[in-house]
Amino acid sequence: MMIRVNGALLRFTEYRRVIDVDAPTVEAGLVKLTGEYQPLRKVLFDREGKVRATHKVFLNGDQLEPDQLASRAGDADSVDLLLAISGG
Amino acid sequence: MPRSCAYEVPVDTGLFTPLHLQPTAACRLAFNAAGRWLSLYAISHRRLVAEHQTGFVVWSVQLSSGDPVGYFDADCLDVVVTGRVRGGGTQFECDVEVRGPVGRATRLRACCVPLRLDGGSALAGAPARLSPEVMSAFLADEIERRPHLSPLPALRAVITGCGAELAQGRTPFVIHRHQCEVADQWFWPEAVSLACSGREELVRAEADRVPRLRLAMQTPLGRLDLLFSRPFYLFDEGAVVSTAYEWEGRLAFVHELVGTEGGVDEPRAVAIEQFAPAPEPTWN
Repeated sequence: MMIRVNGALLRFTEYRRVIDVDAPTVEAGLVKLTGEYQPLRKVLFDREGKVRATHKVFLNGDQLEPDQLASRAGDADSVDLLLAISGG
Repeated sequence: MPRSCAYEVPVDTGLFTPLHLQPTAACRLAFNAAGRWLSLYAISHRRLVAEHQTGFVVWSVQLSSGDPVGYFDADCLDVVVTGRVRGGGTQFECDVEVRGPVGRATRLRACCVPLRLDGGSALAGAPARLSPEVMSAFLADEIERRPHLSPLPALRAVITGCGAELAQGRTPFVIHRHQCEVADQWFWPEAVSLACSGREELVRAEADRVPRLRLAMQTPLGRLDLLFSRPFYLFDEGAVVSTAYEWEGRLAFVHELVGTEGGVDEPRAVAIEQFAPAPEPTWN
């Protein structure tokens, strides 16, 4: 899958915006991503290993709820990581 | 009586256009003034973030230009700021006046939304109320039960519905770090800079066809309204879609700041500029 990282997280991914990850599910892809970019792990996941509520995950444009992160994702799928923030 | 804070700011040439204060500079002065008020009477923004895991994002801004002031008018500008919370602690609002040696002050009201930070060093957050501990720092008459309501949606509806469209343009941009604050998120006054760029590009492109547009370079901004929906981040691609209107005898520009990634325009903020004469905003 292709994971697109938003600008506030770029400093945790060596300023790579689009990162290809080979994993069977979205959740596995995020875990693999944070294994490759360790500083991202504490930012993206809480102490229990769950995606923090301040981040939203989209699969091919559709937002995934926390219990949908096990959704399967293949090479052609895209995952977007956005901050759940409103305002300026 | 709500507490205020008054001080002087030495002028530098970057604060001004040939006509008046730079609108972006006025916004930066105002945000700094709000931080000064918070620090003096409640809690510094830095401590709010570091110790209370709470940050502020600006949501709604109204700027009403006072009498023109220029670089050679005085050595310092006078700034007066007051602050208060609204909507049961779901908003922090500041009123800032910036004035030269004579005449009416430029007034700016900015309404911020508190965010509970839970994103580690990314400083990501979700809307929240100020904690009782922080709320206790405000005096009774610095707590307004009613929330701030942005006048921008109604203003946009009447301008786009009743005004005569003169021209439209689109100015692409990419957000770079010099336009951002500490968390690689755009610093909100940058919305004003981008809107001004959109307007000036529209003047460059269309003023030969619509000479009236030149007024936007020849007269100071009268009033500016801003409403934010989502921020831009480092390296985000976007565009300013600027539309000029003749409305009630004045020139008005509606700027839609949109994200453009994925091939679809995604609204992030709206800025409306009105050029004199324009009435003061309704300070609800």
